[in-house]
Amino acid sequence: MSRDNPSLFPGTLELIVLQLLSAEPTNGYDLSLRIQAISRDVLNVNAGSLYPALYRLENKGLITAEWTQTAAGRRAKTYSLTGRGRRQLVEQRESWQRFAGALVAILRVS
Amino acid sequence: MIRRLWLRVRGIAHPGASERDMQDEMRQHIDRATERLMARGLSQREASAEAAREFGNMGAIQEEARDARGSRFVSELGQDVRYGLRVLAKKPTFTIVAVLTLALGVGANTAIFSIVNAVLLRSLPYRDPDGLVRIFFNEPGVGLRDIRFSKPELDDLETGAGVFEDVSPILEGSEIVSGAGQPERVEGVNSSFSYFSMLGVTPQIGRLFGPRDFVPGFAPTLVISDALWRRAYGADPNVVGRTLRLDNDPYTIIGVLPREFRHPGPTVSGDVEVFGAGGFSGEPFPKPLRSTRVLVSAIGRLKPGLTAEQAQVRLTAFANQIRHDFPGDYPPQAQWTIEIQPLQETLVGNVRPMLLVLLGAVTLIVVIVSLNIANLLLARATGRQQEMAVRLSLGASRGRVVRQMLTESMLLSLIGGAAGVATAVGTLHFMLRFVPSSVPRLNEVGVDWVVLTFALLMSILTGLLFGLVPAFHSANAALSSAMREGGRGSGYSTKTGRLRDVLIVSELAFAVILMIGAGLLLRTLRELLMENPGFNPTQVVAANMQLPNPNDPKTDPYLDIPRRATFDRELLRRMKAIPGVELAGITSALPSTNTNPNAVGGIANEGFAIEDRPVESSQDLRAERIRISPDYFTVLRASLVRGRAFTEDDEDGKPLVAIIDESTAQKYWPTSDPLGRRVRFGRDATKPWTTIVGVVKDIKSDGLDIDGVPHIYVSLYQDNSKRLSVVLRTSLPATLLEPQIRHEILSLDPGLPIFNVSSMNAVLDRSLASRRFSAELVGGFAGLAALVSAIGIYGLLAYMAGQRSREIGIRMALGARREDILRMFLRKGVALAGVGLVAGLVVSASTASVMASLLYGVRPHDPAVFLIVPLLLFAIAVLASYLPARRATEVDLISAFREG
Repeated sequence: MSRDNPSLFPGTLELIVLQLLSAEPTNGYDLSLRIQAISRDVLNVNAGSLYPALYRLENKGLITAEWTQTAAGRRAKTYSLTGRGRRQLVEQRESWQRFAGALVAILRVS
Repeated sequence: MIRRLWLRVRGIAHPGASERDMQDEMRQHIDRATERLMARGLSQREASAEAAREFGNMGAIQEEARDARGSRFVSELGQDVRYGLRVLAKKPTFTIVAVLTLALGVGANTAIFSIVNAVLLRSLPYRDPDGLVRIFFNEPGVGLRDIRFSKPELDDLETGAGVFEDVSPILEGSEIVSGAGQPERVEGVNSSFSYFSMLGVTPQIGRLFGPRDFVPGFAPTLVISDALWRRAYGADPNVVGRTLRLDNDPYTIIGVLPREFRHPGPTVSGDVEVFGAGGFSGEPFPKPLRSTRVLVSAIGRLKPGLTAEQAQVRLTAFANQIRHDFPGDYPPQAQWTIEIQPLQETLVGNVRPMLLVLLGAVTLIVVIVSLNIANLLLARATGRQQEMAVRLSLGASRGRVVRQMLTESMLLSLIGGAAGVATAVGTLHFMLRFVPSSVPRLNEVGVDWVVLTFALLMSILTGLLFGLVPAFHSANAALSSAMREGGRGSGYSTKTGRLRDVLIVSELAFAVILMIGAGLLLRTLRELLMENPGFNPTQVVAANMQLPNPNDPKTDPYLDIPRRATFDRELLRRMKAIPGVELAGITSALPSTNTNPNAVGGIANEGFAIEDRPVESSQDLRAERIRISPDYFTVLRASLVRGRAFTEDDEDGKPLVAIIDESTAQKYWPTSDPLGRRVRFGRDATKPWTTIVGVVKDIKSDGLDIDGVPHIYVSLYQDNSKRLSVVLRTSLPATLLEPQIRHEILSLDPGLPIFNVSSMNAVLDRSLASRRFSAELVGGFAGLAALVSAIGIYGLLAYMAGQRSREIGIRMALGARREDILRMFLRKGVALAGVGLVAGLVVSASTASVMASLLYGVRPHDPAVFLIVPLLLFAIAVLASYLPARRATEVDLISAFREG
């Protein structure tokens, strides 16, 4: 899934997308800018990973999309979280934190 | 969940909508990125180029996105189909050859399968057909099956055995329909009054027999077939109540059967058209005594829930009980017993081997054709490696490329299959005319959904068979080599080469199997055609007749032997008087026409006793009794080896005489001289003895492929029957003689029909129709298989020659002679052929015995066939290799190098 960004762990991009969409519904392009901005350009998520990830999430019923007018007055496909997506986010966030905590602990020991 | 489903449904229903959605979204992404870059001061062109670069490989991303959304398969299928059609249209020669060969294979398969389906697979068209059985009475102790039985024995089955819901005797025979115009002979069946309810038939007009029609003798009522109704009554709806004369007796028509109804049993010839019923216990039937065994066959319906095996166990016990209760009627050594067999089995069992061999042959053809197409596709796939490589590098997955290739081959096989089914449907009616009429249930043959499903499966399987290997192969090969190798394959790549070799070898192996089978069948046919029938059939014309059998003896002008003898003499006198007829004879059984020994007048195995031998040992003496006129052997040019022929003096009131054939002499008088010995037919000890006066060479009376049945000939003027055939020695053709024969017979008795007037050669030929049909069909398929495999070898070597033209050029530049190059290619072709032949021979040798029942005079491992077939195919393979090999040596050095 992360053909241009091998450092991204499997499933990470989905988690990021869910997290950002939980803050506010947004479209693909803005989503990619936001990831870049928040991660301070560490995570350079390009379209090749982002769109398949979005479609995968939509197909799983975790997010939903509709065409809306943006503030700039143009049509954009806006994604938002579904109820299932919200529950999934909570679960994934917890398991990710457990995993990251464990990893940090191990790295500190050695 | 529902939403997800909706998305998918929408994706399938409107692949365009969600596709457009995705395209829009991604285009907007790029637009906005471009604007952002322009805001940073880039020019429009630079900005949009940069934005596109940042976005990445649009095609690949869209592919992945479609995959993620799950709608991909459907949208791609349409794409693949369109692309596949374009590819096929671009190579019309390849496509036409492939589609035509496939159409031939699938079409032949569909046609044969539709016959197999109707004859072997489909249940009989009666109510609850699994419960219907044919009942046999056997005496295994003396080696007899299907003997006659008495009315009390049949009644026992219905009342005492406890396994039958219903039983009915079946009396098959010919009837003479008279009244309007020329007398006509039709097939008739007499049964019990429950025959139709047992089979579950409803009439299209009137009613069928029921209990209220019961009479001890023959009922004066009649049910007729749809065909007779149309032919004789012009489909008159008011036919019920009209009178039809059968064998001079008037019958009232009570009903007409539905068009598709057929009597479930063998007939003398053609379909049964009149159905009578009777009680089989009063006049004209003899008194119903246990030992008066006049009934010839019976069918029954098992009680519901009873399997044939369970019923058989009970019947065997029941037969033992009867034997115990009536010891006088059942000699212990005969071991009289009752056997049942599913009705379907008795009807179609004897044609099963032939039909299965035909189905096997057409299946082999389809496999061979598929292998050949696989080979062609593989050759093309090698040429298309570059295309595949480009697709892969543009973001297509390996699975996607395989799918694309498979779609192409599926398209090919479905188009070929559709063409094949269309051909089969269009020509089925025509082809059925060539199927021998001895195959039952041909009227039920048609293309139904079972046949269509079979054809579809066949097409899909062939598509997979010839598509899968090239598809996977080319996807793999493309990944590794294509871009590197560039526009022109630099050599015959080993992996593709080996694959193609395997295909060719298996193709040849299958061709060998088919050709061996065809060889065996054709040799059988040849053996039979060469078989000495014991007489000379050329310049002999035969015609069949049947004297009427009225129920009231007082109205029968041919009641007893002397009256029939008078008729026979007058008939012969008139036949001899026909200009062009040299000699005339009469027989009760024309050679090779004994199709239904159970029919009234059909020749059956009869028991006889030999004078001065113990009665016990005479239990198993059996022979077929044939009644002949004095000149019969002369007309047929059969040779009398000992004693004398019959004379005009061997007539009623004189000592009874008989002539036996060599089989009989061999069997019953192996060490002594049969001349002068005396025999007696039947078990009645009060009847006079018959003296043997001559021995004749065996005449193949029951068919060319039936050996060693003992025959005893008796004089027509001492013993005769109502069924007879006239044989005439003449140089005139049958068609020319027929009107004159008819005229003479009608002037003798205007109520007598004649039928089947034909030359004796045609009679013999007809008896071989079924074997000729299967041998010629399988032979044709084998020829096709040889041709297709020759094309396969030719194609492979021609392709190799093209691929290796540069190598050949180098070799020749370095001093190789043309012969060396020629030898190199021939060696390749010969090696492939050799391996294929050996493999095919091994498989044939281990499976040939399944054909044993279809062979006559040829062993399943006939050395001639196993030698000639490989030699023939080898010669074909060498020739098919030689042509491309010679072309290879004519390589133009300059162009070979320049192109390389």
